Amino acid sequence: MSFQEKNIAVSLANFTLILGFYSIRVFQMIQGGSFNTTNVFRLWGIIIALAIIITIFATILTHILSAIIHAIKTGEEKPDIEDIEDERDRLIDLRGTKVTYFISSIGGFLSMLTFVRGQPPLVMFTLLIFSGVVAQVVGDVSRLYLYRRGF
Amino acid sequence: MVKRRINNNIRKLRFFHNEMTQQELAEKVGVTRQTIIAMEQGKYSPSLELAFRIALAFDVPLDEVFSYDPEADSN
Repeated sequence: MSFQEKNIAVSLANFTLILGFYSIRVFQMIQGGSFNTTNVFRLWGIIIALAIIITIFATILTHILSAIIHAIKTGEEKPDIEDIEDERDRLIDLRGTKVTYFISSIGGFLSMLTFVRGQPPLVMFTLLIFSGVVAQVVGDVSRLYLYRRGF
Repeated sequence: MVKRRINNNIRKLRFFHNEMTQQELAEKVGVTRQTIIAMEQGKYSPSLELAFRIALAFDVPLDEVFSYDPEADSN
Protein backbone atom coordinates (compact mmCIF):
# COMPACT_ATOMS: atom_id res chain seq x y z
CA MET A 1 0.00 0.00 0.00
CA SER A 2 1.47 3.35 -1.07
CA PHE A 3 1.65 6.40 1.20
CA GLN A 4 -1.22 8.06 -0.69
CA GLU A 5 -3.40 4.97 -0.25
CA LYS A 6 -2.67 4.91 3.48
CA ASN A 7 -3.63 8.58 3.71
CA ILE A 8 -6.92 7.94 1.90
CA ALA A 9 -7.64 4.87 4.05
CA VAL A 10 -7.09 6.97 7.19
CA SER A 11 -9.31 9.76 5.82
CA LEU A 12 -11.99 7.18 4.97
CA ALA A 13 -11.87 5.76 8.50
CA ASN A 14 -12.08 9.29 9.99
CA PHE A 15 -15.05 10.38 7.92
CA THR A 16 -16.86 7.08 8.45
CA LEU A 17 -16.51 7.60 12.21
CA ILE A 18 -17.66 11.23 11.88
CA LEU A 19 -20.63 10.12 9.77
CA GLY A 20 -21.53 7.49 12.38
CA PHE A 21 -21.22 10.01 15.22
CA TYR A 22 -23.32 12.59 13.33
CA SER A 23 -26.05 10.09 12.40
CA ILE A 24 -26.29 8.76 15.96
CA ARG A 25 -26.42 12.29 17.46
CA VAL A 26 -29.14 13.43 15.03
CA PHE A 27 -31.11 10.25 15.71
CA GLN A 28 -30.77 10.78 19.48
CA MET A 29 -31.93 14.41 19.11
CA ILE A 30 -35.00 13.38 17.13
CA GLN A 31 -35.81 10.61 19.62
CA GLY A 32 -35.25 12.83 22.64
CA GLY A 33 -37.20 15.77 21.22
CA SER A 34 -34.16 18.07 21.31
CA PHE A 35 -33.90 18.53 17.54
CA ASN A 36 -33.70 22.33 17.55
CA THR A 37 -31.60 25.10 16.00
CA THR A 38 -29.19 25.46 18.95
CA ASN A 39 -28.37 21.75 19.12
CA VAL A 40 -28.10 21.26 15.36
CA PHE A 41 -25.76 24.23 14.88
CA ARG A 42 -23.68 23.08 17.86
CA LEU A 43 -23.40 19.68 16.19
CA TRP A 44 -22.42 21.40 12.92
CA GLY A 45 -19.57 23.13 14.73
CA ILE A 46 -18.43 19.91 16.39
CA ILE A 47 -18.48 18.00 13.09
CA ILE A 48 -16.50 20.66 11.18
CA ALA A 49 -13.96 21.05 14.01
CA LEU A 50 -13.61 17.25 14.31
CA ALA A 51 -13.13 16.87 10.55
CA ILE A 52 -10.33 19.49 10.49
CA ILE A 53 -8.52 18.42 13.68
CA ILE A 54 -8.74 14.67 13.11
CA THR A 55 -7.63 14.97 9.46
CA ILE A 56 -4.54 17.02 10.41
CA PHE A 57 -3.51 14.73 13.27
CA ALA A 58 -4.25 11.54 11.34
CA THR A 59 -2.14 12.71 8.39
CA ILE A 60 0.81 13.51 10.67
CA LEU A 61 0.40 10.22 12.53
CA THR A 62 0.22 8.24 9.27
CA HIS A 63 3.44 9.90 8.11
CA ILE A 64 5.27 9.10 11.35
CA LEU A 65 3.95 5.52 11.59
CA SER A 66 4.77 4.83 7.92
CA ALA A 67 8.34 6.02 8.48
CA ILE A 68 8.71 3.89 11.66
CA ILE A 69 7.27 0.74 10.02
CA HIS A 70 9.43 1.30 6.92
CA ALA A 71 12.54 1.78 9.11
CA ILE A 72 11.80 -1.42 11.07
CA LYS A 73 11.21 -3.40 7.85
CA THR A 74 14.27 -2.20 5.94
CA GLY A 75 16.60 -1.29 8.81
CA GLU A 76 17.36 2.11 7.22
CA GLU A 77 18.23 4.97 9.57
CA LYS A 78 16.70 7.61 7.31
CA PRO A 79 13.75 5.86 5.70
CA ASP A 80 12.86 7.18 2.27
CA ILE A 81 9.09 6.74 2.22
CA GLU A 82 7.41 7.18 -1.13
CA ASP A 83 5.43 10.32 -0.40
CA ILE A 84 5.89 12.04 -3.77
CA GLU A 85 2.72 12.75 -5.68
CA ASP A 86 2.89 11.98 -9.38
CA GLU A 87 0.51 12.49 -12.31
CA ARG A 88 -1.41 9.26 -11.61
CA ASP A 89 -1.99 10.30 -8.00
CA ARG A 90 -3.26 13.68 -9.17
CA LEU A 91 -5.61 12.09 -11.73
CA ILE A 92 -6.98 9.68 -9.12
CA ASP A 93 -7.47 12.58 -6.74
CA LEU A 94 -9.31 14.55 -9.44
CA ARG A 95 -11.63 11.63 -10.18
CA GLY A 96 -12.31 11.21 -6.46
CA THR A 97 -13.05 14.93 -6.15
CA LYS A 98 -15.44 14.66 -9.11
CA VAL A 99 -17.34 11.87 -7.31
CA THR A 100 -17.36 13.92 -4.08
CA TYR A 101 -18.77 16.99 -5.88
CA PHE A 102 -21.36 14.89 -7.69
CA ILE A 103 -22.67 13.32 -4.47
CA SER A 104 -22.67 16.63 -2.59
CA SER A 105 -24.53 18.30 -5.49
CA ILE A 106 -27.23 15.64 -5.28
CA GLY A 107 -27.27 16.14 -1.51
CA GLY A 108 -27.59 19.91 -1.96
CA PHE A 109 -30.45 19.43 -4.41
CA LEU A 110 -32.26 17.01 -2.07
CA SER A 111 -31.76 19.45 0.80
CA MET A 112 -33.45 22.19 -1.23
CA LEU A 113 -36.30 19.80 -2.00
CA THR A 114 -37.07 19.66 1.72
CA PHE A 115 -38.04 23.37 1.45
CA VAL A 116 -40.34 22.54 -1.44
CA ARG A 117 -41.96 19.90 0.74
CA GLY A 118 -42.51 22.51 3.44
CA GLN A 119 -39.93 21.19 5.92
CA PRO A 120 -38.22 23.61 8.36
CA PRO A 121 -34.68 24.95 7.52
CA LEU A 122 -33.30 22.69 10.26
CA VAL A 123 -33.99 19.61 8.14
CA MET A 124 -32.26 21.25 5.17
CA PHE A 125 -29.15 22.07 7.20
CA THR A 126 -29.03 18.56 8.70
CA LEU A 127 -29.30 16.95 5.27
CA LEU A 128 -26.71 19.33 3.80
CA ILE A 129 -23.94 18.36 6.22
CA PHE A 130 -24.96 14.70 6.08
CA SER A 131 -24.58 14.70 2.29
CA GLY A 132 -21.24 16.53 2.60
CA VAL A 133 -19.80 13.83 4.87
CA VAL A 134 -21.31 11.00 2.77
CA ALA A 135 -19.80 12.62 -0.36
CA GLN A 136 -16.36 12.65 1.30
CA VAL A 137 -16.70 8.96 2.27
CA VAL A 138 -17.83 7.93 -1.24
CA GLY A 139 -15.04 10.05 -2.81
CA ASP A 140 -12.44 8.28 -0.63
CA VAL A 141 -13.89 4.87 -1.51
CA SER A 142 -13.66 5.69 -5.23
CA ARG A 143 -10.04 6.89 -4.81
CA LEU A 144 -9.10 3.68 -2.98
CA TYR A 145 -10.86 1.61 -5.65
CA LEU A 146 -8.87 3.36 -8.41
CA TYR A 147 -5.60 2.80 -6.53
CA ARG A 148 -6.39 -0.89 -6.00
CA ARG A 149 -7.39 -1.34 -9.66
CA GLY A 150 -4.30 0.45 -10.96
CA PHE A 151 -6.19 3.39 -12.40
CA MET B 1 -13.75 -6.09 -21.40
CA VAL B 2 -12.14 -2.90 -22.75
CA LYS B 3 -9.15 -3.61 -24.99
CA ARG B 4 -5.92 -1.78 -24.31
CA ARG B 5 -5.10 0.79 -26.97
CA ILE B 6 -1.64 1.82 -25.83
CA ASN B 7 0.82 -0.99 -25.33
CA ASN B 8 4.32 -0.69 -23.92
CA ASN B 9 7.61 -2.57 -23.68
CA ILE B 10 8.71 -1.14 -20.34
CA ARG B 11 9.16 -4.54 -18.70
CA LYS B 12 11.25 -5.82 -21.62
CA LEU B 13 13.33 -2.64 -21.77
CA ARG B 14 14.01 -2.79 -18.03
CA PHE B 15 15.25 -6.34 -18.45
CA PHE B 16 17.61 -5.35 -21.26
CA HIS B 17 18.93 -2.40 -19.27
CA ASN B 18 20.84 -4.40 -16.66
CA GLU B 19 17.59 -5.71 -15.18
CA MET B 20 16.66 -2.26 -13.95
CA THR B 21 14.17 -2.45 -11.07
CA GLN B 22 10.79 -0.73 -11.11
CA GLN B 23 11.98 1.46 -8.25
CA GLU B 24 15.09 2.55 -10.19
CA LEU B 25 13.01 3.47 -13.23
CA ALA B 26 10.46 5.26 -11.04
CA GLU B 27 13.22 7.36 -9.47
CA LYS B 28 14.73 8.15 -12.90
CA VAL B 29 11.46 9.44 -14.34
CA GLY B 30 10.09 10.99 -11.13
CA VAL B 31 7.02 8.90 -10.41
CA THR B 32 6.06 6.30 -7.81
CA ARG B 33 6.79 2.58 -8.24
CA GLN B 34 3.01 1.99 -8.25
CA THR B 35 2.70 4.11 -11.41
CA ILE B 36 5.37 2.01 -13.17
CA ILE B 37 3.51 -1.16 -12.10
CA ALA B 38 0.19 0.25 -13.40
CA MET B 39 1.83 1.14 -16.73
CA GLU B 40 3.46 -2.27 -17.12
CA GLN B 41 0.13 -3.93 -16.47
CA GLY B 42 -1.47 -1.67 -19.10
CA LYS B 43 -3.85 -0.13 -16.59
CA TYR B 44 -2.50 3.39 -16.90
CA SER B 45 -1.47 5.34 -20.00
CA PRO B 46 1.11 8.00 -19.09
CA SER B 47 1.08 11.63 -20.17
CA LEU B 48 3.13 12.57 -23.21
CA GLU B 49 5.75 14.19 -20.97
CA LEU B 50 6.17 11.06 -18.82
CA ALA B 51 6.27 8.88 -21.95
CA PHE B 52 9.17 10.97 -23.28
CA ARG B 53 10.95 10.79 -19.91
CA ILE B 54 10.66 6.99 -19.94
CA ALA B 55 12.02 6.80 -23.50
CA LEU B 56 14.88 9.09 -22.45
CA ALA B 57 15.62 6.90 -19.42
CA PHE B 58 16.09 3.92 -21.73
CA ASP B 59 17.77 6.08 -24.39
CA VAL B 60 15.46 4.82 -27.14
CA PRO B 61 12.90 6.52 -29.41
CA LEU B 62 9.37 6.87 -28.06
CA ASP B 63 7.90 4.34 -30.49
CA GLU B 64 10.22 1.66 -29.15
CA VAL B 65 8.60 2.01 -25.74
CA PHE B 66 4.96 2.70 -26.63
CA SER B 67 2.79 1.57 -29.49
CA TYR B 68 -0.78 2.39 -30.42
CA ASP B 69 -3.26 -0.31 -31.42
CA PRO B 70 -5.90 1.21 -33.74
CA GLU B 71 -7.68 -2.17 -33.93
CA ALA B 72 -8.73 -1.81 -30.28
CA ASP B 73 -10.43 1.48 -31.21
CA SER B 74 -12.56 -0.07 -33.94
CA ASN B 75 -13.61 -3.05 -31.74
